[in-house]
Amino acid sequence: MPKHIVRLLIVIAAILTIAFSAKQLLIPDSFYQYGHYRGNAITEVASKLPKLQGSASCKECHKKEYEVWTAGIHRKATRNNEVQGVVYKYGPGCEVCHTGPAGNHPSKEAMALSVEDKVTSITHLKVKVHPANVPGRKLMLTPQEMRNVCLNCHEKLPGRPLEQKQIEITSHSGEEVCTNCHNPHSPRIVYASLPIGKRGDAKAGKAIADTCAGCHGEVGKSVSPEWPNLAGQHFDFLVDSLKSFKSGKRPNDTMAPMVEGLNEIDIRNVAAYFSKFSCGVSGGDKVMAALGKGKAENCKACHSAGGLYGSGSAGVSGNPSWPNLAGQNAEYLANTLKAYQDGSRIHPVMTSIAKTLSNDDIEHLAAYYANMKCK
Amino acid sequence: MTKQDKAIKSQEVPMSRRGFLGFLGKGAACTSALACTGAAVGSSLLSEPKRGFQQNEEQLAESINNPPKLEDYNWNDHSWAMGVDTDRCIGCLRCMEACKMENSVQMDAFHHRTWVERYTYLEGSNTAIVDSQADPKNIENAGSETRFRFDNRYKDVKVDKAFFVPKLCNQCEHPSCVQVCPTGATFKAKDGPVLIDTTYCIGCQYCVQACPYGARSFNEVRGVAEKCNWCYHRITKGLNPACVEVCPTGTRIFGDRNDPESPVSLFIKNNHVQVLKPEMGNAPNVFYKGTDKEVV
Amino acid sequence: MESVFHHVTPHIGFIYPNESELPWTQLIVIYPYITGLVAGAFVVSSLHHVFNIKSFAPVSRFALLTALCFMFFAPSPLLFHLGQPTRAFNAVITPHWTSAMAAFGYVAGFYLCLLILETWFAFRADIVAMSKDRPGFMGKIYGWLTLGSDDVTPKALAIDHKIARILSMIGIPAACGLHGYVGFVFGSLKTREWWSSDLMPVIFLLSAVGSGVGLLIVLYVIASKFRKTPIIDETMRGLLYVLFTAITVVMVIEGLELLEIFYKAREGVETVRELIMGPIWAGMSIQWAMSFFVLAVTSTLLLYNVHGEKLVKWLFAAGLAMMVGVLAMRWNVVIGGQELSKTMKGLLTYYPEVWGRESLSVVALISIMPYLTLWLATKLLPPWKDGEEYGFGALGSHKHT
Repeated sequence: MPKHIVRLLIVIAAILTIAFSAKQLLIPDSFYQYGHYRGNAITEVASKLPKLQGSASCKECHKKEYEVWTAGIHRKATRNNEVQGVVYKYGPGCEVCHTGPAGNHPSKEAMALSVEDKVTSITHLKVKVHPANVPGRKLMLTPQEMRNVCLNCHEKLPGRPLEQKQIEITSHSGEEVCTNCHNPHSPRIVYASLPIGKRGDAKAGKAIADTCAGCHGEVGKSVSPEWPNLAGQHFDFLVDSLKSFKSGKRPNDTMAPMVEGLNEIDIRNVAAYFSKFSCGVSGGDKVMAALGKGKAENCKACHSAGGLYGSGSAGVSGNPSWPNLAGQNAEYLANTLKAYQDGSRIHPVMTSIAKTLSNDDIEHLAAYYANMKCK
Repeated sequence: MTKQDKAIKSQEVPMSRRGFLGFLGKGAACTSALACTGAAVGSSLLSEPKRGFQQNEEQLAESINNPPKLEDYNWNDHSWAMGVDTDRCIGCLRCMEACKMENSVQMDAFHHRTWVERYTYLEGSNTAIVDSQADPKNIENAGSETRFRFDNRYKDVKVDKAFFVPKLCNQCEHPSCVQVCPTGATFKAKDGPVLIDTTYCIGCQYCVQACPYGARSFNEVRGVAEKCNWCYHRITKGLNPACVEVCPTGTRIFGDRNDPESPVSLFIKNNHVQVLKPEMGNAPNVFYKGTDKEVV
Repeated sequence: MESVFHHVTPHIGFIYPNESELPWTQLIVIYPYITGLVAGAFVVSSLHHVFNIKSFAPVSRFALLTALCFMFFAPSPLLFHLGQPTRAFNAVITPHWTSAMAAFGYVAGFYLCLLILETWFAFRADIVAMSKDRPGFMGKIYGWLTLGSDDVTPKALAIDHKIARILSMIGIPAACGLHGYVGFVFGSLKTREWWSSDLMPVIFLLSAVGSGVGLLIVLYVIASKFRKTPIIDETMRGLLYVLFTAITVVMVIEGLELLEIFYKAREGVETVRELIMGPIWAGMSIQWAMSFFVLAVTSTLLLYNVHGEKLVKWLFAAGLAMMVGVLAMRWNVVIGGQELSKTMKGLLTYYPEVWGRESLSVVALISIMPYLTLWLATKLLPPWKDGEEYGFGALGSHKHT
């Protein structure tokens, strides 16, 4: 074989030997151990320290808030107050609203980071930003910021399941911050458990009530018997009624435009204003009232303070969501029952009851309650 | 008895005792044969360990007998899976935020390990308008790329139907990303998640191209590919992935399919579940309930 | 709005959030283009070395040098593109064979070695001569290249010729592999509707050959004009035949691929239609306009049996058009495929950067380097024999240049 071929073959052999031995030597440790990858990579990935610590880690220092949160709605994953299916993560934890994994708190130092962050590499970034230092990430939020956080989940958006409590912010509370009414750790409000002063601001309600006085009177005694007295009426019932007018659930051409401009806070305030007045007795035909007494036995279950079990005052409803009837205008009561009868006003219970009443029954009942004292 | 009945009856052959025993014997033989086959198939499915994706016999034996040394964790005991109940999702994006914080993901609108899509059918329309939180209008509404919030662009129009769909890496059984990685930097671990070895990745981005779900992205800072790994550093310590941990409505369900009482096993058992893009053949491990014909 | 990263691709419709930045940009467009030029030039060279078609003799060694010089620069776009280029050899050390990309290190390496070897065998006689003639340092270099042997007897040269021929024969399937695998990288990806096709490797390979021939035509004409040597009519005719064959087959197969997409009309075909009408309209127009131009010119030249100056002028134009058309095709495939979102409900429009790591300026640099290198190479290893019977030094006596 010619000299040059021999020499070429030697050169090629040398290069190949070097290349293949280099390849073998350079294979990283633990490669091919479990598959076509570095076996050690598994432990490296898994050894990173978790940043989210879970709400229980906040308990030690923030006992009170933690207790409130545990007992409240934000801790339960419920739909219609029932735990649905297999759900085991409930409500937003501390780290959700307080925008940051507890791993970065209380020390400002970032926690020991993972193997990924130890990798040195070619960076072609314009600005290098570490996640913990991103502007706007504060652990304790200002009330204004908190409003945005609440709205993140509670703004009314098409696409959100209806079980999620959602509001349209301006009609709900205008410019108010959420925490004025809601405890962020346990935000559900049960009005009945609040003292009247807390439920609404009667002073602010007075300003609104000036508009209402035209029909319902300055102190809730309406100027005409066809419109209801509001003085001393249950707070909850007044709120429910106004809300129903607003949503259209209770169609009423007069009231609907009246409440259009009111938001949730206004409604509560005006309801608080009227409910604090003492109710009066509007009076009615005593003869008819006596006839109505017998029929009213059927109404006692709901519209009597003692309900089914006691003999509380007739016409003063036990449940604050049901209206007091005592002292109400007879004409208004009669019109209401007739409205239930003909379907222009719908109520799951009252509609069927009203259908069992004759015209005479209606007149008698109206007179009876109109004569009742509400105390 | 009619003539027909008589004819039929005459064809009946009474069984002799021998015949009967023979019948019994054959039956027994058949049944036992079936039972054996069934047992063989069944046991091969249950007791014999399955080979991992692109794993040979030796490597399988190694992964069983000599698993990676993690404290209180043996990857042979677990088979992780995830469920998503889209009927519950409210699109609050807390999962995204938690993921970004937990995994130090780039804080901009274009690198996500998990994200949420919104599908909106306007009145009278048969197709959905889709947007995600990376849509410029949503970013504007949120104020910056580091805040996450959907805007309320449909509040003045009539919406027939709308819903949110969270997305993340499906940790497929036959991952196309693992198939195309030229170096072996991404791989399927025995307990389920598809992981990335960031010290070995060369950043060619072939895996980013190959993923049918768009779950992978390229991290320019580190020069490597990245994706959701079900917070492997958390699940190996008995915790939940960050997104599951923070979801306020219980949309994301996580658990071990080896445990029939785990949340994800019950979720799969009690619901009709789907996967995304089944025609790709990747066999994803994230099971969706309540998706729609338009979900991509 | 503060943005940590500035490279955001505008889009319409819905795209997955992670798709906002295109993973493979113009660097990945020119990578198959350069390897294509290599494959094409090599095919022309082997038409003489393997199939003994005499008309290609004048350009065969030049084609070989072209292939070699372009091959040196084939890996450079990839190195610029990688996120971790220092780890580039991971794909060679632990190649994951289910990935077509893992083949790159080995196929390209093998092909480069093959080209180097073949060049050495083809030029050995000249190298030996120059080691004796050239003074000083250059003479020493040539000396090393001879591996210390100055055996240029006819017997040795015959062996050289035989080995070169074998290498050439191996080189043809190797070229198919080198370029076919790139097509497979795209064609095997079920995720991208625009790429996923069984025809993709074939398209890539055939258009590569076409672009290589075009390159060779252009370079041959320019080199001859520059050296003031006559352009051999027979060679031009030979190149015309190859170009004609290449363009017809390429157009048929590319047309077939498009037809299949629209005929099958799978989910998302409307978005594909919008892709062609929208973001890649310019690219597609260029690609097909150039293709039709080349087809028209080559068929006319063949039909009317054109020779001489006219042939040179028109074939040059056709060669140039072929190069542009194939580059447009690469752009349409690589960039176009990514502009079609995986959701099939969105389209992106890519605007290439001018400066930066993955930018037009880098592309320009990488594109120019092979030509400069080729010019240097022709100075170091002159492939032409003036006033002599053309071909291997092995087959005839040679004169020093």
